[in-house]
This record gives sequence, structure tokens and C-alpha cells, in this order.
Amino acid sequence: MSEPGPSKVTAAQAEIAALAGAIERAAADLALTEEPSNFEAVLERGAPRD
Amino acid sequence: MRRVTDLTLTELAAAIAARKVSAVEATQACLDRIARLDGRLHAFITVDQAGALARARALDADLASGTRRGPLHGVPLAYKDLFHVVGLPTSCGTKTAEYFRSEHESTAVARLSAAGAVTLGKLNMTELALGPFGDNPHHGNVDNPWKTGHVSGGSSSGSGAAVAAGLAFGALGSDTGGSIRLPAACCGIVGLKPTYGRVSRAGAMALSWGLDHLGPMTRTVSDCALMFELIAGHDPRDATSSHRPVPPVLAGLDAPVSGLRLALPENFYFDGVTPEVKAAVEAAARALQARGARIVPLRLPDPAGIVDACNVLARAESATIHSRVLRDRPHELGTAVRARLEIGVHVSAHDYLQAGRLRARLTREFVDEVFGEVDAILAPAIPEPPPALAAVTAGAVEEIVRRMGRFSRLTRPFNGLGLPVLALPCGLSADDRPLGLQIVGRPFDEATIFRLGYAWEQASPRRAPRD
Repeated sequence: MSEPGPSKVTAAQAEIAALAGAIERAAADLALTEEPSNFEAVLERGAPRD
Repeated sequence: MRRVTDLTLTELAAAIAARKVSAVEATQACLDRIARLDGRLHAFITVDQAGALARARALDADLASGTRRGPLHGVPLAYKDLFHVVGLPTSCGTKTAEYFRSEHESTAVARLSAAGAVTLGKLNMTELALGPFGDNPHHGNVDNPWKTGHVSGGSSSGSGAAVAAGLAFGALGSDTGGSIRLPAACCGIVGLKPTYGRVSRAGAMALSWGLDHLGPMTRTVSDCALMFELIAGHDPRDATSSHRPVPPVLAGLDAPVSGLRLALPENFYFDGVTPEVKAAVEAAARALQARGARIVPLRLPDPAGIVDACNVLARAESATIHSRVLRDRPHELGTAVRARLEIGVHVSAHDYLQAGRLRARLTREFVDEVFGEVDAILAPAIPEPPPALAAVTAGAVEEIVRRMGRFSRLTRPFNGLGLPVLALPCGLSADDRPLGLQIVGRPFDEATIFRLGYAWEQASPRRAPRD
């Protein structure tokens, strides 16, 4: 990987830090049963009944 | 007098089946328009003139001997240059002609070909499908067919421009944050982002495994429904492909919409949009109401959480998928694309997994809350008419990236939620720039949004850009 310049690293790190902070706050009360693959299950369950 | 290229996809398919038009005539008509107009539009990266005409001649011979390959027999289509098509290079909008290779042809392309389609070639796109404006430093900026020098929408910019300008009867695009719906809206055509898992992603370049959707782009809702029926359905080559059967959507397009409950969002989706855009979407709502649908003003769950989750997932996945070019040939990438990819390298595994867990919960909450109240949602697709390209691509890279985020803010939440969304023309601005409508459905309910889209289309005049 090429070395990004100092200003790029700062901007990237700042954006990632902001995103990580937002995700951590929003995910603070996630249930232990919550896992990423639940997403597909939610879509299947939300489909119209035939 | 109507030219062959003025026909819709379904009209052309019927005309070929009735032997009023040959596949060669239709293909040659598209190639002639490409030769005449694409010097300005830059919609194509590769035009396969010889291959398209050879295929059209073979299809005409088939029909003469009584064999019709399928509903698209002889219809010329083109594909965003991230679908692997056997015999043609796939640049993905990069400087590298053969950036992407796949062991198998794209499943969606193969299904359309099996239905009789002719492949005209591969369509221009924003580099690596990153960016909503339609600019490309390697293959030329895709121009807006309605207003030269204006944004064509991205990243499936060539797909939008080619279909709108009559260079192809339909196209395929991909949508990770709005990349089908934004060019559809900017170019005044119809585009579908299907439910996540509905259309196989096999054989197409990935930008984000969790957010990518492939779908059709056409001039009418009927054309879009036909292409959707042909490409949707389970594919063992794509592990995320749903096993759910695909109901017929084309046959039910003209079913009444009376009794359907349509949400008009009270928050976020009209914030900061221009008065013309707001008025146009409200007019579409009134037109559907006049046909018996019930409009329900509704406060939707705040999209900020799902957009944050999407940003983490998209950045981490795109940086991982394209790590080789980022490591070995970063100088070949455009400045904004490189900057967006480099950010993803810094996402931690912890944040990536938390984003995935959060997405699942937010999607469940959205589906339960919203689709307990309504059958579909109406919202603008773009916050303003397509702006001048020079204005949105000027300045520092950070400012360009911020503009990208603002322009695609109305489409991105639905990639995270995985819901089906139909983008449709919604009239023109005072200076003849297209405006766009989104109709969002419950998971796997493409049939209802097609039905609503068809009803809106019947109530609004069909327009095409002048050459």
C-alpha cells in the first residue's frame, strides 16, 4: 500500500473516528443475539405473504 | 414518423416477433445512433458492432425458421462495464481495459441473452462505480442527453444516457448507494434497484458485497418489469441469492392501485430539496390518489443510523475488494476515488461487525414500523435537477466528496435497508432538466412498486430528449 500523505491520513482517520463513534453509540444496546446475517432473515420475513 | 429507436423495448420485441422489424434493422438503427451521438454522450466504452450484427443475423435466421429464443428475441441491449460478457473486456471504468475477469459470464447478462437479446456493447460508468455524477477521467464524462454539460448521474451513467438517448432499448446497471436510481432520475428513465438477493450478482464486479444490487434501466415501466422478470430469481453462483420464487410482475402491471397506502415522508426526504422537486413528487402522489391510492403522511425512522452503518460497510468492503489496485497502481485512480478507497483501509474489524449487526436491527425496525402502516413510500430520487458537471466537480477533493454525499443522500438509505426501489421520471424542471421519483416497497414486493409506477406513468406524459 502506498503511504498517504500526512493530511490525508488525518482526514481519513478523522472520518473513520467519527463513523466509529456513531456506530458505537448506536450499537451500544444491541442484543447478544443480534448478528449481521439477521439482515437477510429480516428481508425474507418481511416479504408479502403468497 | 416514428423511428425504430423510438419504439419501447416491449414494442420492439412485439414488432420483431411479428416480423415487422428485423433484429438486424433494430441493431443497425442503434449502431447508427451510437455513431451519430456517442461522440458527445460518451455512453459507451466498448461497441461490439461486428458481434452485435452477427448475433442479430443469427436471430433473424432463427425466427425465419420458426424459432423464437424468448421475449427479447432480437432486442439490442447494453451493459454497464462491470458485467462480465464473454468476449468483451470489462474495465469497470478504470484505466485498465481488462480490470475485472470472471470464470463465468454475468448471470443477469446470460439470462437476457438466453431470452434473445443482442449485446451492443459495454457502457461507461464512474470509475469503480464510485461516484454519483457520471464523470470519468479515463473514458470521458457521460453527458446528460437532456442538457449538455450537466450531470448524467452515476455510477451507471452510460446506462442512463444510452437508454434515454435511444442508443439501446434497455441496459443493466448496479446500485450500491443509488447508482441505478441517480442516472435514471438524471436521464429521465426508469430504473429498478431490486430487493437485496433478488437478482444474482455473479459475474459482476463487486463494490460492496452487502450493498450491491443489480437491476434494469429502461424507458418505460413495462420494459423494466420484463427485464426484471428475466433476470430475477435464485442463482447457485451467488451465495446471497434468495430462493424466493419470482411472481409474474408484467401481467399485473395494470391492476388497480386503489386501496394501496402510500407514505409521503414527513422527515428527511424533503429536507433541502428544491421547490420544483417537492412539487413534482407531491403531484405524483396526487395523481396516484386520484386513482384510489391513500396518501399517508408518515414520519419514517431517522436514516442517519443506517447511513452510518452503510458508510462503514461500504468503505471497508470496497477497500478490501480493490486492495490490489490501491496497493500497486494507486496513481491510476482518480483523486476522489482513491481518497474514498483509502479511508476504508482504516476501518477496524470491530466497527465493521458492529455496523453489520446494527444494519440488521435497523432494517427489522424499519420493516416492522413502516410496512405495518403503508404498502409503499414515495420520495424524491434526486434533491435537485441534474446540476452542471463543472460546478460539482470543481474544488478540493473533500468538497467534491461532500457534494457526492449530498446528491446521493435520498437513495443511500435503501441500499442499507435492502428494500426494492423503482426510480421513475417525475416531470421536468422549468429549464427541461429531468426530475425523479422513488417508489419504495416492502422486501421482495417488486410487483407492487411496478404497479404503482405503471399507474403513475399512465398519468404522466412520456417525454424523450431531443437529439
